Amino acid sequence: MPAASPGDVDLPDSRSKPDGRALNQFLASVELKAFKIAQLALRHEEDALDVVQDAMLQLARAYGARPAEEWKPLFYRILENRIRDVQRRRQVRGRVMAWLPFRRGDDEDDLPDPVEQAPSPGPTPGRRLELDEAMQALDKAVQALPNRQRQAFLLRCLEGLDVAQTAAAMGCSEGSVKTHYFRALQALRAELGDFWS
Amino acid sequence: MSTGGEKPDEFERHTQEVLHQSLTRVDSRVRSRLNQARQAALEELSVRPRSFWRAPALMPATGAVAAVAVIAVLLSVQYGRDRTLPILEGSSQAALEDLEMLSDKEGLDLIEGWDGSFYEWAAAQGETGEGGASG
Repeated sequence: MPAASPGDVDLPDSRSKPDGRALNQFLASVELKAFKIAQLALRHEEDALDVVQDAMLQLARAYGARPAEEWKPLFYRILENRIRDVQRRRQVRGRVMAWLPFRRGDDEDDLPDPVEQAPSPGPTPGRRLELDEAMQALDKAVQALPNRQRQAFLLRCLEGLDVAQTAAAMGCSEGSVKTHYFRALQALRAELGDFWS
Repeated sequence: MSTGGEKPDEFERHTQEVLHQSLTRVDSRVRSRLNQARQAALEELSVRPRSFWRAPALMPATGAVAAVAVIAVLLSVQYGRDRTLPILEGSSQAALEDLEMLSDKEGLDLIEGWDGSFYEWAAAQGETGEGGASG
């Protein structure tokens, strides 16, 4: 479905033996999208960077010798697992912290530095403002999606995986992917209709 | 609306465009961190699996086994040499007699009760061949 996107790099011939250069090209092609997916899921820049790094290391360790065409679904499967691990840890920590009243409100320390969060300079100010608003609205709407819908939406729409690859990455059937993606689009359309029209 | 292989509609295209635009706005600090993470992963790929015996945790045990093996080899070589010592292998009657004397309890008793004149006489008898049953 999606066409080429920023950071996309032609993968090497899958028949050739995977090596460091091929893996480097692959990781360079997915790292920004992986970061975006992790950031939308976790809403925390440092956590997002950590899970992307973990996924890269795990892919290199366990699947570096596998054919290059298998890397993408494997990488996103690992990434989703890492994201889920962080979310579970947060849930546990949240339950524990709920018993400690003096900790309430301290989570502000964990918020990312607004200066670091400031976007890099890019297009013209008018266009940039428009994009900023659209991105903020989209980020907010995507973050509000249930986990599986968000995964299906981002893997299909941002990463450009097809239904089969998305199913492999999510560890579910192709029918489930279609359902999650359809519902995600419905929810986003309902939320962003005014922005997009 | 597409859910499978159909062409994306306007809403999807616009969403996709915004998402991709957001990638170009990722700041340099994050890009640098991602690059470092990628390099770390590539280093991981270049590390070949170590052999069982070269595992750091097993280094002391491996050294101990090697040391025991060396000692065992040295001892077996030494044992082989000892088995061919002249005193055991040789046919010299004198050597056997010396050994018997050393292991003989009576000989030690004689030494303890040292009688010099007797030994001088016995030696003289031996040299002249005059000793014997009569002496």
